[in-house]
Amino acid sequence: MGLTLCKTNMAAASPDSTRTFQRDVEEDESQFGSTLCLSSSYYSVFVVRLAIMIMLAILVGLLTLLTWHITRVYTTRSLKTLAYGLRHELLQRPLLRMWNILNSTVEVATTQVKLSESVIRRYNKPAASQADQVEQLYQVMKELTWALFASRKALNSITLSYRNGFVQAFHRNHRSNNTYYIYSDLTNYSIATSYSVNLLSSHQGWNDQSIHTNMSAIWYREPLDPTTGDKTAKAAPIPPDELINIAGISQVPDGTASWHIAVSKYTDSPLLSAALPVWDASHKSIVAVVGVTTALYSVGQLMKELVEFHSGHIYLTSQEGWLLATSTNTPLLMNSSSGPKLMMAVDSQESVIRSGAEYLSRAYGNKLPPSQDVHIESARLVNRLYYIDSFFLNLKRLPMVGVIMIPRQYIMGKVDEKAFKTLMILISASVCILLVGWFCIFILTNGVSKEMKLRAALISHLDARRRAEASNNYKSQFLANMSHELRTPMAAVIGLLDILMSDDCLNNEQQAMITQIRKCSNALLRLLNNILDLSKVESGKLILEETEFELGRELEGLTDMFSVQRINHNIETVLDLSDDMPKVVLGDSGRVLQIFANLISNSIKFTTSGYIILRGWCETVETESKKRESYLHPKESWCAQKLKRKREAAQGKICSKKDNKMMLWFEVDDTGCGIDPDKWESVFESFEQADPSTTRLHGGTGLGLCIVRTLVNKMNGEIKVVKKSGPGTLMQLYLLLNTPAETTKQHYQLNFKDHNLTVLLALNGRMTRLIMTKWLREKGVQTHEASEWNELTLNLQDFFTNDNSQMAESETHESNLGSSIFIIIIDVGLLDLSTELWKQQLNFLEEYCADRASFAWILNHDTSKVVKAELRKRGHLLMVNKPLYKAKLVQIIEAVIKRDRNLHLQTPVADHEFHEIDSLQSPSASSDESEKLDNDSCNAIRGSEYFSRGPLSQSTLSSSCADYIHVNLEDDVSILSKERSSTKSYNEDKEGGAASSCKAVNEQKRPLEGLCILLAEDTIVLQRVATIMLEKMGARIVVVGDGIQAVDALKNKSQSNEHSDAKALPYDLILMDCQMPKMDGYEATKEIRRWECGSGWHIPIVALTAHAMSSDEAKCLEVGMDAYLTKPIHCKLMVSTILSLTKGT
Amino acid sequence: MEIVGQLQKQFVDFSTSLNHEGFLDEQYLQLQKLQDESNPDFVCEVVSLFFDDSEKLLNNLATALQQQVVDFKQVDAHVHQFKGSSSSIGAQRVKNMCVAFRNFCEEKNLDGCLRCLQQLKHEYFLVKNKLETLFRLERQIVEAGGTVPVIG
Repeated sequence: MGLTLCKTNMAAASPDSTRTFQRDVEEDESQFGSTLCLSSSYYSVFVVRLAIMIMLAILVGLLTLLTWHITRVYTTRSLKTLAYGLRHELLQRPLLRMWNILNSTVEVATTQVKLSESVIRRYNKPAASQADQVEQLYQVMKELTWALFASRKALNSITLSYRNGFVQAFHRNHRSNNTYYIYSDLTNYSIATSYSVNLLSSHQGWNDQSIHTNMSAIWYREPLDPTTGDKTAKAAPIPPDELINIAGISQVPDGTASWHIAVSKYTDSPLLSAALPVWDASHKSIVAVVGVTTALYSVGQLMKELVEFHSGHIYLTSQEGWLLATSTNTPLLMNSSSGPKLMMAVDSQESVIRSGAEYLSRAYGNKLPPSQDVHIESARLVNRLYYIDSFFLNLKRLPMVGVIMIPRQYIMGKVDEKAFKTLMILISASVCILLVGWFCIFILTNGVSKEMKLRAALISHLDARRRAEASNNYKSQFLANMSHELRTPMAAVIGLLDILMSDDCLNNEQQAMITQIRKCSNALLRLLNNILDLSKVESGKLILEETEFELGRELEGLTDMFSVQRINHNIETVLDLSDDMPKVVLGDSGRVLQIFANLISNSIKFTTSGYIILRGWCETVETESKKRESYLHPKESWCAQKLKRKREAAQGKICSKKDNKMMLWFEVDDTGCGIDPDKWESVFESFEQADPSTTRLHGGTGLGLCIVRTLVNKMNGEIKVVKKSGPGTLMQLYLLLNTPAETTKQHYQLNFKDHNLTVLLALNGRMTRLIMTKWLREKGVQTHEASEWNELTLNLQDFFTNDNSQMAESETHESNLGSSIFIIIIDVGLLDLSTELWKQQLNFLEEYCADRASFAWILNHDTSKVVKAELRKRGHLLMVNKPLYKAKLVQIIEAVIKRDRNLHLQTPVADHEFHEIDSLQSPSASSDESEKLDNDSCNAIRGSEYFSRGPLSQSTLSSSCADYIHVNLEDDVSILSKERSSTKSYNEDKEGGAASSCKAVNEQKRPLEGLCILLAEDTIVLQRVATIMLEKMGARIVVVGDGIQAVDALKNKSQSNEHSDAKALPYDLILMDCQMPKMDGYEATKEIRRWECGSGWHIPIVALTAHAMSSDEAKCLEVGMDAYLTKPIHCKLMVSTILSLTKGT
Repeated sequence: MEIVGQLQKQFVDFSTSLNHEGFLDEQYLQLQKLQDESNPDFVCEVVSLFFDDSEKLLNNLATALQQQVVDFKQVDAHVHQFKGSSSSIGAQRVKNMCVAFRNFCEEKNLDGCLRCLQQLKHEYFLVKNKLETLFRLERQIVEAGGTVPVIG
């Protein structure tokens, strides 16, 4: 019951397990394709299972066999011994009986002989009358013989044949139960002859012929009463064939007893006859022969009785094989023409006996092993198995063989049956055990195999993970190596651009273009760096820098850059930063820009027409945390709120330490295809795009927004997609950034109200116009708008007719307040450039307001040279590139105001100068201006102008300008360096500085004049190169080979210097290789900084390293180095870095 | 004068081919720019320094890699130094080889390192030959009374 239950359970469970396994396998296949491993383990499990089962089977089989063997063998053996005994016993008894018969026969014969001898001796008196004597003798002998014969019932006959041929015999016919006295006719005998003993003795025995002659004698048979011996009938002569066997003299040729088997026609059974001679008194001659025959019938009878119970057979044969007695009733004699004859055992009518005899004769031939018993255990006779045993009875003259055949069944039948049953039971039991065992093994190993499969799967998973990790490692490694390889060509491109920019024979347009290329190259380099850092982002090793940077300026640069890409599209890019944004913030400018670059490029990708607005505004942490909550929370889940609360708690801690934390909000708003609301979250996942078809349409990997979110989160901010009215996407994000305390309040302090400004914005772009108008109006500037040429002319006409009257009225008024300034900002796109009409349009404009208004032109990047040249020719020198944003607007207005002030001076320089507004951060500006200022006498004035403008237009003042000015106006160094120190950042130096320094090198060959630099570098080649480079720049170089020497050099020098000048450090700067023998750059720097500690000194240390990952940079800065240069040394970059560090102090 | 012209042309061709085949990069041009009247043999000096240094380093590397227990840190340091010096003279292919070498070092792959060392030697001797040829040309030009043309 339990078993079946179990089985059903098993059956129910097994499909499940196989299915899960299959699924596992499928997963494996799909994931790793490593089924080989699994299947091999599966097969090994299978084989093991099979092996265990086979072993169990063998064990159980052996046990079964052993049990069966033991139980069977012992019983069989004991039974066999018993059976042997039995058979022996069984055979022994008939043999004994035979022996008895023989004995008794011999006894009788001997007795007869003795009696005869005595009688004959008594009557053998020569004196007595012969006839009477002989008669008397015969009478006595008859009586004596009768007595003996009567006493022995078993006797068949006793014969007494005298020498003279007279025969006396008693014969008992068992069949008819008659007893006869047989005698021969006396008349034929001569007594005389019967006494011729001498003759006999001389003859040495009887002549056989005497017998034969006797045959002619007449025989008489006298029936007797079997008990009394009285004559019951008259003697009658009998024919010779009725004669019984009479022992004759021939049977005792040597005078000793003899035995033989005889047959008679009166009995069925053979007869045993013994013959003994009767000697005369002198023992010299045989007077008579006594023969005794005994029927062997009783032996057969006994054997029958004996074996009846066993249903076996016994027979006795003579040595020659004549059958003497059997346990059956079959006749032992064969009737032949010459009377009954003995038959051979093989001729017996009993089939068993016959086949047994045949078996024996087959096995041993005719010769049975003499005096050796034969035991055959299983002879198949007549379809039955028999035991055959034969015993040899060695009687003198009559050796006999007894054979007993007992059916095996009788003795072993029960045992065999039992054995068979036991075997059956054992086999069935072992089969059951086997099945149960197999079942158990299956169940047990099933668990094991399942576990093994799981383990194999786990191992393969681990393997795969290890491989994945390894490949990830390789990727990082690859990136780390590639960074170097990628930077090199980029450096080449940038370097070539620098060279090109320093070329004097370029015109302004080319300059502008190269500047754009330069910007884009920088962007590409930055992008490269970002890609390289992506591995860091992914592994969570991204370290954000904390440096000051001008957020507004960077964003403007970014918009400029994108405007180039966007030019082919019909899209307007607008930068709308509120005035309360801090100008300088602390953070990782690269990462911040990366965020916006990604967002904007993303927007561009999906926007075909319309606009993209980047809005920015600011909230301080304290005030807006509530607002933010109300703003963001309703849409977010409870979980997110919790998370945010945690973060706010964390932020609270930070805020308590640093009060000037700002929350900067940004929005990127576009009119693209938009994102499906249920994808708003998922677009920020890795490799996720809102619509799978976008890859086909727009390309991209879907990594951009993921990086953005990672970065934003890293800056304690959040980003999400916000519902927007109208088409497109609105991404909103905020960043938590620190602001340096001193610059927090430095917002634009613009006030154009004083100048009575009027601005006419004639722009194509609706959003730009809208935003600019709004902003200008807030600032108290009168603003008019026009979106196309006709509107513009209409506006102008309107305006100037009004204005004319106004001007007429308020002539005096104006002179007091300063003339009202009218600025017309026109997009070149408004002109009809496709035809020649645009020149007329320009004429029209000039006609109208050349003397009253200032023109500022917004150029496209692809605006043709002709147009530009024409504009310049006509004196329209204020030109800016698209897009227009506040800073540019401010520039335009300020330039106009300034020109308005300087109008009376009529300096052409100022005119020239206005042109530069265009370039803002571009180094080309400096080249342009410097080129012109070289010949200019008023550079001092100009310089001071810059400084006076400093607080206002700091963002426009690139470090390159500062560099230049510093070189030219050494008197003003102190002022300048003050300003520089406030704006200094490594980023600037790196990105913009190269160009500027290049410029500076061109301008003056030895920018490092007077500096003393300690170079710690172990590679001789590098030592030499760097030395020459620096020496060419005018610096004095001290070279040391390792960190220890560097530290020592510094210490020794400063000690020796202490006497003369306690304040000065021996070196202005240290260039420190990072990897050096004995003491590496990091250690040396730490050592130096320790040594400096307390002295108030800070010697600038610049790292030189062949590694290019920013983590190395971080490490350098961590140990106290001030800047970081990668090998191979880039001359210009090095110079600019050195300058920025040394001049700053 | 004709000889000078021919030599100059040969020189220019050879330098350009060196540049194109990647034996030398712009760093070498920078070196050439640094050479002036005050340091007339600067490039030659630096390059021979590089040769000395390189041969020493290559020997060091060979012995380091033959040790029973290879100290990969040591090997890495040598290769790093080699990379620094080769990139300083602009022997680009040698430098690239060094980059590959360092990867094997990090993997502690002795076979890879030995292979790299062979290749590195090969590259080094190649660039050495090229540079020597270049200098010979330069010398010939000078001897012929010409001026060495400026490349790049």
